[in-house]
Order: sequence, then C-alpha cells, then structure tokens
Amino acid sequence: MKGKLSLKVGISGVRGIIGDSLTPQLAGRFAAAFATYTGAGKIVVGRDARPSGEMLVNAVYAGLLAAGCGPVDIGICPIPSALLLTREMGARGGIVVTASHNPREWNGLKFLSARGLYLNPSEYEEFLDIYHQGDFSFVGATGHRTVTTEPEPARRHLARLLEALDADLVGAKAIKVAADCSNGAGAVLMPGFLEALGCRSTLINAEAGGAFARQSEPTPENLGQLCRSVRRAGAEVGFAQDADADRLAVVDESGRALGEDLTLALAVKYVLGKTPGPVVVNLSASQAIDDLARAAGVPVYRTKIGETNVVEEMLARRAVIGGEGNGGVIWPKVHPCRDSFAAAGLVLQFMAESGKPVSALRREIPFYVMVRDRIPGTQEDALRLLGSLRRAHGRETISTLDGLKMRFGDAWAHVRPSNTEPIIRIQVEAKTRRNAGVVLARLKREIAALP
Amino acid sequence: MKLLKIGISGVRGIVGETITPELVMDFACAFGTWLGGGTVLLGRDTRPSGPMLQRAAAAALASTGCGVLDFGVCPTPILQKLVKPSRASGAIAVSAGHNGGEWNALAFVNRDGTFLNEFQGEAVLDSYHLERFRKAGLSRLGRVRTRACGAEGYFRDLAALLDTERISRAGFKIVVDPCNGAAAGLAAGFCERLGCGLIAVNDEPTGFFVHDPEPRPRNAGEVASLVRVGGADAGFLLSSDAGRVSAVAEDGETLSEEYTLPLVAGRWLEREPGPVVTNASTSRMIEDVAARFGAPVLKTRVGQSYVVQSLAGEAGSLGGEGSGGVAVRRFQPAFDGFLAMGLILEAMAVSGKMLSELVEAIPKYHIVKEKVYCPPSRVHSVVAETRRLFPDDEVTTLDGVRVERRNGWVHIRASATEPMIRVIAENADMKAAREEADRVVTFVSQLV
Repeated sequence: MKGKLSLKVGISGVRGIIGDSLTPQLAGRFAAAFATYTGAGKIVVGRDARPSGEMLVNAVYAGLLAAGCGPVDIGICPIPSALLLTREMGARGGIVVTASHNPREWNGLKFLSARGLYLNPSEYEEFLDIYHQGDFSFVGATGHRTVTTEPEPARRHLARLLEALDADLVGAKAIKVAADCSNGAGAVLMPGFLEALGCRSTLINAEAGGAFARQSEPTPENLGQLCRSVRRAGAEVGFAQDADADRLAVVDESGRALGEDLTLALAVKYVLGKTPGPVVVNLSASQAIDDLARAAGVPVYRTKIGETNVVEEMLARRAVIGGEGNGGVIWPKVHPCRDSFAAAGLVLQFMAESGKPVSALRREIPFYVMVRDRIPGTQEDALRLLGSLRRAHGRETISTLDGLKMRFGDAWAHVRPSNTEPIIRIQVEAKTRRNAGVVLARLKREIAALP
Repeated sequence: MKLLKIGISGVRGIVGETITPELVMDFACAFGTWLGGGTVLLGRDTRPSGPMLQRAAAAALASTGCGVLDFGVCPTPILQKLVKPSRASGAIAVSAGHNGGEWNALAFVNRDGTFLNEFQGEAVLDSYHLERFRKAGLSRLGRVRTRACGAEGYFRDLAALLDTERISRAGFKIVVDPCNGAAAGLAAGFCERLGCGLIAVNDEPTGFFVHDPEPRPRNAGEVASLVRVGGADAGFLLSSDAGRVSAVAEDGETLSEEYTLPLVAGRWLEREPGPVVTNASTSRMIEDVAARFGAPVLKTRVGQSYVVQSLAGEAGSLGGEGSGGVAVRRFQPAFDGFLAMGLILEAMAVSGKMLSELVEAIPKYHIVKEKVYCPPSRVHSVVAETRRLFPDDEVTTLDGVRVERRNGWVHIRASATEPMIRVIAENADMKAAREEADRVVTFVSQLV
C-alpha cells in the first residue's frame, strides 16, 4: 500500500519518496519531457532546502541537457523569487525541486511556464501527454548547452518588492521584527528584505538548508519558538514562513499567533484601502474576505482549491489582491504568485501607515472561527458522500465547484476530497467557536449515518 | 540501426539516440549498486554532451548511496591515478575516447584505478539487466561535490617516474595536439615539468573536434606541418580522453599508432625487463623489440580492460595496444597518453637519437586495416565463418579469428564500437599483407 501511494503525479507536479518512488530516472524523464514541451532554451532550476535536492537537481539537469535546454541554476531559492525570475529572464520555463510541506523523506518537481506561473491544468495536460508518450526530443552531439549559474537569483524579486512597497514609509518606523524562516528557502532573502525596509530584525531558523527546525507548516501549533522570540525581543510583529517561502503566518506584538487565515485578511484590507479592485480567493478562505470586499464595494470571486486556479482567475478578473486561507497571499503588483515576502511587506506597511499595533489591526478584521477536520476516505468514497450530501442540502448549497460548500445560518461548511491524501476534508467557519463546533458535529453525524 | 555497444568496462553509443539520460542513469545505478557505497570519482572529456552524462551519472550514483567527487573535465588516465589516493571505491570516466563527436560513453573503473575486468563488468551488467538498483533512503543518499582536476600532482608523479633530468637536458621542442579534448591546456604543465618547449594546437577544451579524436596518421596533418615549420623534435596526437597517442617524427613523417608501443618498449624494457602484454591484433614490431630484451609477449583479447587486467594479474612490466595505448604497471595499469609521450621523449634523450632513427631501428612490417559493414546480428557468425579460408593454418580464436603466417598474420574480429568487421593483415611484405586483407574482405562482403 505504501509503495502504491508513495508517488503522486497531479496538477501541482510530481511528488514521491526518496529511496522509493522518486528515483533519478523518474526525475530525468520528467525533465526531458518538460524540455520537449517547452522547446530548447533556458530553463530555471531551483530547489528548496531538502538534502535530497542535490541528487534530484542533477537528474533534472541531465534530462534538460539531453533535450537541448540550458539549465540556469538558482540553487536554494524562494519559490516566488524563482517564478518571478523565470518570467523576467525570458526563460522557456522552470523546474523547482520541492515538496513544500511534505515530510523530509519526500521531494518532488514543480513545473513553471514562461509566464513565471505554475503550469495551469491545460498546460499540465499537454506536458503529461508528452511524458506518457515518452518520445522526447533528444539532441545530437551539437545541440547541447551547459548549466549556468545565476549568482543572485532573488535580486530581481527584491527589486520588484521594493518598487511595489513604500520602503521610506516603512523604514521611517524602524519596526522591530522577529522572523522564522523554518531553515527553508526564505532564509536566502529575508535578512536582506527586512534590512531594505529599515526593520530591526531578530531571525531564527535562518539557515537555508539546515535541519528542519520545526514542522514547516506555519500553523499556530508550530510557532511556539517564534512567539517566544517575539516576546523576548520585544518585537512588534513576528513572521513565519513555510519551507519554500510562499506562505506566511503572523504573530502579534504580544507573541500570539493570529492563525494563518488572518494573513490574507490583513493583506486584503490594506490593499483594498489603497487600490480598490476585484478580489479572488479560493472556496475555503474566510468570509471575512467577503465582509472586507463588501465594505470596499468590490466583488469577490471564489475558485477551486489550488494556487493555479486562484492565479488564473486573478489574471482573468484583473484582481488587485487574492490568495488562500493557508497564508498564501497573492499580490499581482509584485508577481501573480503566493509570496510570503509580499505578504510580510503589506503587513509592515499597514502597520507603518496606520500606526497601529498588529493586535489592533487584527481586531478590525471581522471575527470568525475556522475549525478543520478530516475523515478517512478515497476519492471514490468522497464522490458517493458528496452525492448524498448534495441531495440532502440542495437549499443550503453555495457552490459545487470543488466538493460541496454549504451555508448554515451565519456558518458555512466545505466538504471536499484531498488532492494529496486519501482523506476527506471538512472545514467549518462561524461567528463563534461554539456554533462552529455545533455545525461540524452535526455534519459528521450526518455523514456517519449515511449508508 | 541503433548504435549501442556494451562492453565489459562500460557502454558507448550515439548521444540522443542510444545514449539518453535514462540509459546513463541505469548503468550508473548498476555500477553504484555493485560498488555498494563509498566515494566514486567522476571525470569527463570536453564533448558538449559530457555535462549531460556527468549529471545523470552523479544523480544515479547518489541515489544508490555513493558519494560523488566530480572532477569535471579530466583526462581519463589522470582520473584513474586519483582513485587510490582518494580512497575511492571506483570511478566513471565519461568519454568516447577515439570515437567521433556524436558518440559518448561511460567507462567504469574499479578501486585499483583500472578498468573493470570481465568478472566485475559482468556483475555490473547483471545488475543493469536485473534493474533492481540499490535505493538509498534520505539519510544514506550520496553527496555530490566538485573538485578541480588538479593535474599538478599527476605530473609530479609522472616526472618522478621518468628520467626527467636527461629529458630536460635534451631541451626538446615538441608539438602536441589534444584535439580540443580532455588534455587541452595540460600540455603546458607536462612540458614545464620535463623542460620541453611546446607548440600546442587544438589546445582549447571546447570539445570541437577539428579532426576525429583518434591518434593516427590521417588525423596528424596539422601536427606534421607544425613539426616541420617549427623545427620540433617530435609531435604527438592525443585521443579525446588522453588515453592514446600517436607520434610524428622530426622530419614530419606521421607514424602509425602501431609505433607507440614498440617505441615505448624500446626504452621501458631497458629499465624494467619483464613480460609485455598486448592484444592479438597488434603489430609484430612489439615482439621483435621485446625479443631484444628477452621479454615474453602475452596476448589478450582486444580492449584496454583485457590488457590491463593481464598486466596487473600476470606481473607484466608493460602493456599496450596497436591503437596507441600504453600502460606501465609500476605507474598505473591504465592506458596513458602522457606516460607514452614521456617515455618516447626519454628514449630519445637517453639514446641521443632522433625519433626517426628510433623508428628506423624497429623492423618494418606492413599493416593493412580494413573494415566491412555487417549487421550486428550476424557479426559473430560471419567472423567465425572466415575460418574456412584457412583450412591448413595455425588459427587462434581468442578474439575472432587470428591466423599466423610465416612473415606476418591476419586477424578478423568484430568491432567493439561499430557494426563492422575489422580485418587486419600484417606482413613484412607489403604486397602479401594487401592480398591477405583483400582476400578476407572479398569473402566477408559476399557473406554479408
């Protein structure tokens, strides 16, 4: 069973276990298929801080070189920096060796288009067809390029961040910041970023490629060390990144973790206050986003779960801000991708402009409680279950775009199969913890009673 | 027709056709699985496809739990010499040696720094066919580190072996053509150690082969004219991996690669008399030279692996082949172009003779080399059929069909690198050699 489930080829790329399913042969084949898909040219190759990255990157180079592409080595690099660089240097595409928040023994490949975005579903399908057909465009003796190295891959990203933000405004406040980079790729840029914004910073777990210091998922239960650092250093704000630096969690000046869905709410509130415009979030993001958009008189568009879905919708709607409730903030003014640095910059600028502490800014966001649960079940189980729920809750249904989202009074519930594990996720948001608990319990009873 | 040749010590093929990242990874995985861990050295020649093979091999070795020390562009003999001091468990040389630029290859080297012998090669091949490779988990995954090739240490060792003082005193001027291969840029260090003046040509590590990277007279035109124009004492042409060499005399005469081994033997056997190992297809010149020193000549199948294995295993003094590859056991059991150049220069310095005079002292034979296309599926049966041509002669079938003649021999064998049957005839009489070869070629052509 373990062997069967240890390889996942899906819309977000390829993931597998080192020493088991994720072999150099597999990585080389995918790289050769990708080079065949993009055509000969430059391909940006980056990786997160996982120790198995070195082996896989070599396999990826081999696949790319064999098909006539010139890999551009950007080393351990934040994902948003890699995406932005891919677009700005005119590369044919990019491959990032990462398994984001999966456990250490996992690793994987993500594929970027020339636009500096993850492949969207239709691009991905074309690419996978080439992989499965196995007819790669290998070059002969004279078509080979070499691997080149980009010495400062995050430089362009930093420049775009500083163009989009008001560095003088933030710098004037000399904000005290504690940041936890999870020993991930964010450590490459975080010190320079905070310095450029005139912050006085305390950095922890800031060694890219070091041992995973904590579970890299930036949920409140993993942020104890950062919360203590905030209190000890007397910092005004704490930032926690995940391993590939696309998501951010915020800790307030009292050392309390806000919960990662508040990152998006803070960013949306600030951006809509400055430049009102459409907002795009996924189905699972808090209804606080709807409240904030309503107050600003702008529409909110909801998409299926998955960064690609949000980004594509944002581009189509010309959204000014968007993202996911898991701390993934997308600010197209920098680049249309989840970007923990853009998120941190917006929070800092919000603080500087308002002159208010993080706890006060948080209180201005409409209050909701989000509870999450999961039940075991395959995609097939999920389909059966969702069918029954839809028949029973026709009137409460808000959306069937991704699983089933229902409204119960001031609460909503979202039931959907996981994209990565054989589980069914249940998410409930309500005005009070009690009510959220009641709705969740009722839903689980109802599910348990189904045949 | 797909060109892929799997030999005992490696695999070679056409890049982009048979040499794909996956094939390279599978072979490197098989090698790493057979080694079972430790550090593996990696080096390559300058072919543009080299980085692809090298990256594929590095990833594959790491995945089997072998650490990788990548020396980048590095002549194969220098890489082999690094194996023991590095306490490595083996090495992979990425180079197709004398083959054209469309080829590339992996050669597997064991912990002694020599090409795998047939038993070792078979074990690796079994692992390749079984496809059950060692998969290191996260904590055992090999690291990949890079190192500079560092020829200085190698040249120091070589200078210690040679009679450097006599060579320096002679003040030779030489022409060297590394064919823009792995030895590009290194001839300067070689000449500095030995006090020689240098005229280098095709000395950039670009992998752009102006001529085939095979040391033989038809590729030696540039060297010959530079020897004449520059008034050099000798000229040398190296293969892309610097394993083989052919020479040009001071008068501009391009010497057959068959002369490299007897020229070296004329000096080395004087210093260290002992058995000479060569293959069954090499000129009789070596037998005449060896006889001068009372040294026996041992015959093996064609291929560096067989020669060096016998050299090491049977306590030979000197080994080599008619292709221009020479190995001295005391230095290292590996074909080494720098070593061959050094010993030819030493022969000149010690004897006080010009290279053309040394050549003159070696009994003359005429050698005719032909090749006939033959589909790979029939190569071995066609070779075996040729026995019918020689019903009354002394025939050995160590490697194809070899027939002894009064003043020479003829050898018919399957090429290890191409879908060809090679016919080599040697005789003291030019006409006899020619007729012998033609007779076989006609016979083979009719069969194919």
